Amino acid sequence: MKKVRLVVFLLVLISLISIAATSTGFGADKVTLTIGSWRVDDVESIGKVLAAFTQKYPNIQIKFNPTNPPDYNAVLRTQLTGGSGPDLMYLRSFKISADLFKDGFIAPLTDMTALKQNYTEGNLSPWTNDKGVIYGLPFMAVSHGIYYNSNLFKKYKINVPTTWQQLIIAAKKLKAAGIIPFANGSKEQWDMNEIVFMNLLPDFIGGRSSRLEYETGKVPFNDAKMVAAFQAIKDIAPYLPAGQEGVSYYDAQQLFLLGKAAMFFGGSWDVAIFEKAAPDFEWGVFATPASVGRKTVVCFHPDCGIGINKTSKFQKEARLFLEWLTTKQAAQILADEIPGFYPLSKTGAALKIKSAHASQFLAISNGKETDLRFDWPVLMDAPQGKTDGYNLTQNAALAVAKGAMTPKQAADFVQDGLEQWYAPTQHFKK
Amino acid sequence: MKERKVIICHYLILSIWALIALFPVWTMLVNSFKKQLDIFKNPFVFPISPNFDAYLYVFRESNFLLYCWNTLLITVVSIVCVLFIGSLAAYALVNWKGLGSKFIYLLFLAGIMIPIRLGTINIFQIIRSMNLMGSVYGLIPVYIAWGLPMAVFILTTFIQDLPGELMESASLDGASKLRIYSAITIPLIRPALGTVAIFNLINIWNDIWFPLIFNLKEDQRTLLLGVTYFFGTYQTDWSKVLVVLTLATLPVLLLYMIMSKQFIKGLTAGSVKG
Amino acid sequence: MKQKVSVNTLGALPTKMKRKRDCWFLYTIPALIIYIWFMAFPLFNSMRLSLYTGSGFVPSHFVGLKNYVDLFTNPFFRDRLVGAIIHTGILFAICMGIQNTLGLAFANILSGSLKGSSIYRTIIFLPATLSILVTGFLWRLILNPNWGAVNQVLAMLGMTRFSNYPWLGDPKVAMIIVGLVTAWQWVGIPTMIFLAGFQGIPEDLYEAANIDGASRRQVFWKIKAPLLIPVVGLVSILTFVGNFNSFDNVFALENPNGAPDYSTDIMGTLFYRIGIAGQNPIGEPNMGVGASIATVIFFILLTGVTFWMISQNRNNKKFE
Repeated sequence: MKKVRLVVFLLVLISLISIAATSTGFGADKVTLTIGSWRVDDVESIGKVLAAFTQKYPNIQIKFNPTNPPDYNAVLRTQLTGGSGPDLMYLRSFKISADLFKDGFIAPLTDMTALKQNYTEGNLSPWTNDKGVIYGLPFMAVSHGIYYNSNLFKKYKINVPTTWQQLIIAAKKLKAAGIIPFANGSKEQWDMNEIVFMNLLPDFIGGRSSRLEYETGKVPFNDAKMVAAFQAIKDIAPYLPAGQEGVSYYDAQQLFLLGKAAMFFGGSWDVAIFEKAAPDFEWGVFATPASVGRKTVVCFHPDCGIGINKTSKFQKEARLFLEWLTTKQAAQILADEIPGFYPLSKTGAALKIKSAHASQFLAISNGKETDLRFDWPVLMDAPQGKTDGYNLTQNAALAVAKGAMTPKQAADFVQDGLEQWYAPTQHFKK
Repeated sequence: MKERKVIICHYLILSIWALIALFPVWTMLVNSFKKQLDIFKNPFVFPISPNFDAYLYVFRESNFLLYCWNTLLITVVSIVCVLFIGSLAAYALVNWKGLGSKFIYLLFLAGIMIPIRLGTINIFQIIRSMNLMGSVYGLIPVYIAWGLPMAVFILTTFIQDLPGELMESASLDGASKLRIYSAITIPLIRPALGTVAIFNLINIWNDIWFPLIFNLKEDQRTLLLGVTYFFGTYQTDWSKVLVVLTLATLPVLLLYMIMSKQFIKGLTAGSVKG
Repeated sequence: MKQKVSVNTLGALPTKMKRKRDCWFLYTIPALIIYIWFMAFPLFNSMRLSLYTGSGFVPSHFVGLKNYVDLFTNPFFRDRLVGAIIHTGILFAICMGIQNTLGLAFANILSGSLKGSSIYRTIIFLPATLSILVTGFLWRLILNPNWGAVNQVLAMLGMTRFSNYPWLGDPKVAMIIVGLVTAWQWVGIPTMIFLAGFQGIPEDLYEAANIDGASRRQVFWKIKAPLLIPVVGLVSILTFVGNFNSFDNVFALENPNGAPDYSTDIMGTLFYRIGIAGQNPIGEPNMGVGASIATVIFFILLTGVTFWMISQNRNNKKFE
């Protein structure tokens, strides 16, 4: 019985202390805004950016409050509907944020002149609705490519591949030597779609104009080019880690960093992680190469914007922050502190970036056409009860990777799924 | 001879299971003292030179202590309420003979069988209308409601088994119901209260569903919700993740070890009677 | 051993005090208010919501049974619902077959006079005190195809086929693995309940059996087993309710999609994905259909509990 009494006493004591601890207030003039994000890896680096802002506006402090990437969209939406959303928030491009704006959670920014001055219409488009209302500041873009371990490439006398065929030959050579050619896996599902399939897709179907052919219904989603793209997944499947279905995105990064895998389909956002981990080998990045006879197109995506919560108490301060982000000074700090994320402002595009790896990643698209992620602009707009394009390409790519579907079946699967609701392509229905 | 073989066999079965049961905990503990790359090189042996950097980092740089407060606060408040409210109801239900009593008892019994999560959508709306969304306090009424059915169930079983003469003599002395409740019933059912408390402690401490759905703000998070965010932030740094896991687990683990005898006694006494 | 729902008289107050019945009611009011406000009422109201639709926060547009029609006929929902019911069934089968059988075996051993049994008891129950989020993370490490202990051990035993096996990534085995981890975690609960059951068996029955020279096996099957049937019923129904309510195990070991290929999608994840979080990447929940899934779960549970109560009553009659 003594034990019980002791425990109860301790618990009461603890609760008293904690009540006392929570009742201390803080300074009156300063305001603190929160910013929601899915960039959980950026906690330290974005802190420096926000500190630079506070230095300029000492009364405004901004706290970075990230959520795990796969949960962010759902969490943000529930936070906003529940009335507990952050003052500022990272906005995904296109449909996801467009829906949030449509439902009245995001404040319109059309009257912010700094936006139209500093950003091209193309870069504003992922956060502009069909009536031309802008609701997000184009914050940063990411690029897709393939990381490689230079030491292993040297050791096995492999040159950086410039065609898809060379890439597969290199993979074969590495596998024969007992090295995992590609670190990527598909335990988390989205990784196979966003990290691998979206990455290589433009190489096989072409750039923006070709994408528009699919979107406008000129060609079906199961044409020969799309089949070739799924064939590419089949090509690399034997060179993924054994048991790739159980390898998560973070396991894959780890395999690359440990030197067990020679290449990694990745995005420029990995630069910061790899630089921080500082593996004991040289590493670089190259553009995912197209097949012989086709032009290499790099997947370059305006990945994140920033918007203001319509119900935030700090509208004025939030707008001050966004306006500051449009300046050249902010772009420079961003590019340097968050390597691998590229400012989207006109002045930001010409900056010199501190991180060598990040500027190398940006350089892979020099002289090449770029296009954004295929699924994003229109294919996610599925009505309730229908499968959106993202989940269709994801499930198809996963099935091809483990041999459950042929490339042709995968492309047919995407077309069939989209025919259920995507009007422009429905005329292909048999 | 045969008897001996059987006993050895029994020890063998139990020991093998004990190994399986403890292995993940062992993994967690040993790896929390390792540097990042050593974890993957040899994940399951003790480190040659233990490394405490990750522990120091977590205490210095994260909101770990704040999350600890939050969790403790809601756990303690919820458990105290469950014990008080639940024992009052159980005390009444044992003594109150009548249809109403039976009905209320069955109502609570149903709560054991029907999970509270099925009502989540509506609970979400209620908490929102109370302006508690995003606040850690929103969890308290939900946890109380969640803990009550089991508390009423276990406590009525215990109060039924108390010797009636004690109450009899007390009431002959002119003690009021409330006085009998506080002076006789409560002290006598302490072991059962302990069981209910630990039961709720495990449930509340380890709950991730409601904190996830109520979207607690950064400074309002519970320990375990903090852990899920930490997963994302430091997923590439497993030594830190394992440190956080270890620290999030230890309080309940220690309390369970200290009170396991009493807890299991209460558990076994309460569970079969119903 | 009898399952008594009615309240017996041992600890009750003397009759003199029992006359003012409504007074006792007052004692139950605080419990009733909180319980009804935050549990009973939301449960019923959630069922009402299943008749509404709407994209906003509160589904406000009455649509009758449309959500149910959607759920049962639109392949988008129906296939997932059927899958979730099957997978939850697999989970239940594993928990019954492995978790509860092990629990019974452990309880049987522990109820004997074994030295150090309290230590084993503590260890067996220990995983149940941990969060599945924590244990899930640890099992993911142990089952990892590249550096997991399970594969290392299997490779050491010469089964190189499994040296890189993706236990959690293969749709054929993922649900079984999730079930085994769940069983590992909760085996302490049936152990304790069965232990209580064994302790409830009167000593003199054993003594009589010993005098008759009965073997251990005979004692178990002839004496213990029949007396334990009601406890088996209790354990089964608790497992049933627990499984149809579980979510954390799949959330921690896989993801809310029930990866890989929806093979671990159980009722809890389906409800979460459709009714609360919404499908990745859009994350737009369909609260109406979500509420109808909750209602389906409710009726499945209700069927199970009713079945249990009927069989319980029959058992009681047999023993009386």
